[in-house]
Amino acid sequence: MSVEVGNTSRVFFREAICRAVGETLDAEPNAILMGQDVGAFGGSYKEFYGLFERFGPARVRDTPVAESAMVGLGVGAAAAGVRTLVSITYMDFVLLALDPLVNYAAKARFKTGGQIRVPMVVKVTAGAKGQGVAHSQSLESWLMSVPGLQVVAPSNVADAYGLMRSALQADGPVVYVDHKRLFPTSGLLSTLPHEVPFGLAVVSRPGRNATIVTHSYMVSVALAACEQLAVDGIDCEVIDLRSLAPLDLDTICTSVSKTGVLVTLEEGQVVCGVGAEIACRVQARLGPVKVSRLGAVPAPVSSNPVLEAASLPDAARVADAVRHLTTEGK
Amino acid sequence: MIASNDTDALTAMLLARGLEAVLSRRADCGFQLLSGGQEAVAVGVACALLPKDQLLCSGRSIAPALARGLDPGSVMAELIGRSSGPCLGRGGRGHLSQPSSGFFGAHAVVAGNLSIAAGVALAMQARGDGNIAVCLFGDGACGAGALHETMNIAALWRLPLLLVCDNNLYSVSTPRAAALAPQRLSDLAAPFAIEARTVDGMDVRVVRAAALELATRVRRGAGPAFLECISRRFASHSTSARETRQPQELAADRELDPITRLENALLSEGALSAHAAQALREQVRARVKAACAFAEASPLPVPHEAFADVG
Repeated sequence: MSVEVGNTSRVFFREAICRAVGETLDAEPNAILMGQDVGAFGGSYKEFYGLFERFGPARVRDTPVAESAMVGLGVGAAAAGVRTLVSITYMDFVLLALDPLVNYAAKARFKTGGQIRVPMVVKVTAGAKGQGVAHSQSLESWLMSVPGLQVVAPSNVADAYGLMRSALQADGPVVYVDHKRLFPTSGLLSTLPHEVPFGLAVVSRPGRNATIVTHSYMVSVALAACEQLAVDGIDCEVIDLRSLAPLDLDTICTSVSKTGVLVTLEEGQVVCGVGAEIACRVQARLGPVKVSRLGAVPAPVSSNPVLEAASLPDAARVADAVRHLTTEGK
Repeated sequence: MIASNDTDALTAMLLARGLEAVLSRRADCGFQLLSGGQEAVAVGVACALLPKDQLLCSGRSIAPALARGLDPGSVMAELIGRSSGPCLGRGGRGHLSQPSSGFFGAHAVVAGNLSIAAGVALAMQARGDGNIAVCLFGDGACGAGALHETMNIAALWRLPLLLVCDNNLYSVSTPRAAALAPQRLSDLAAPFAIEARTVDGMDVRVVRAAALELATRVRRGAGPAFLECISRRFASHSTSARETRQPQELAADRELDPITRLENALLSEGALSAHAAQALREQVRARVKAACAFAEASPLPVPHEAFADVG
């Protein structure tokens, strides 16, 4: 697509990722991208389209179906000084690669007294889109508890690019979580190279009555809920976390101090979820506030469209939760 | 030390044996996996490496680290958690590492270092620097999918990777035959057309010759190779694991001691006099003593270091 608008252009989500990765492969002549179908196929979501032709098979490597070894090789090469990006098509399969990621990469710098660093990115695609119980999960809260891992999750084109640029400049392991339902979206992107720093949340919509803290695809669900709530005269603020580890507690607390109402929203599980961590930390700092945590119901996410929709948060449910909290005790 | 001749190899084996003897007598020795009996594998493999090659190993890391030439004092410091260790006392035996000396190091997850080593080999291939990565692992790792995934990719991509299985015949208490179906563990390499050998791991000359042959081949760009060395571990799996083998079996293992074997060979060949052999042992004893003194003099980390270098 790529339509120039001033010094920005309108691009698809996948193009934003591709541009950031291509710029890194250009800038670092040894850097390697690897994963299943990242080569001539161009990536499962076409997010690496054209990179194989530009950089060749030694630097854009198709791998066998072997997530553990893919990530292990990526970790080892990075530890030996070659930056790597390993792509895992479904976040569910990062479970097969947790040993090199959690037991080696996340601990390498610490355990070697700073001798080894692991400048690598594992890109995973989360979220439900009709593919069933083992291809739909959002497991980012599992990873944000691992010391030594940074976890980021863009919700839009500009952040998809800027967070990938930052991830590919980091000197430690980063898990970059994108989402199946974001790939068809488009947005404006500056034509100049730039980064989105980790640990900085952003206010996607200002509001006075309640704070919805969310990330990734659920940002659009939160914004849709805000439209419904506005009709009722409830003015919500939406915070897009962008980065889960490190977590920008300051931006969240500034908002909740103002609204007094916190709704956390994620596509993953509520139990031990991103929202559980945020709700706890916000109240440790601010004292008791009205809190509701929203996420998937405690059940597998089916490929059946009726059951999938029933298990995930949507705008109506978010709006109901906000209404309930803001009218409580009135 | 990279042992280029028999006397150097003997010295390297004596050093590992001597350091471990002192370590295991310490009340504060902690959780250690000792290399006693298996020194010929570590030393024989190290003999085949050039300074910029990288050796990776399992948690049984003491002999490999010393064989790769790490300073015995700093190794001892790391083993007892002192700040003068190469990992500042944070890694310990399970994660002993000094890449600047060609010892990328230990990773205490069984089979966990295999794909990491292949990644190190991939980095070497990407840079075209002509170095090789060597991964030393136990027979226990041969049951893990990580080995098969790694061999497949290493063969496909012709990575400069030498896989060395130090087969001491037991996974903790489980006999190798009860855990692994293949006749020989080197047979595991066959489906990937990876060049493989099985050799006597209790003879350092045999290990060295096989490692040199395969390392040369790997260095030439022929892709990965697999070396199985059959060894005997003299102590139980770890300093906290109980011994399950019968005394007769342990006594028979001792008969195969790689140190005695090389020393006797050198004496009978006239390459080493009894006097020189005695002097060698004295020198090693002095080095071990100095290493311990160095480690003892080094401070423990301060508690705040628990938060250092995360990520």
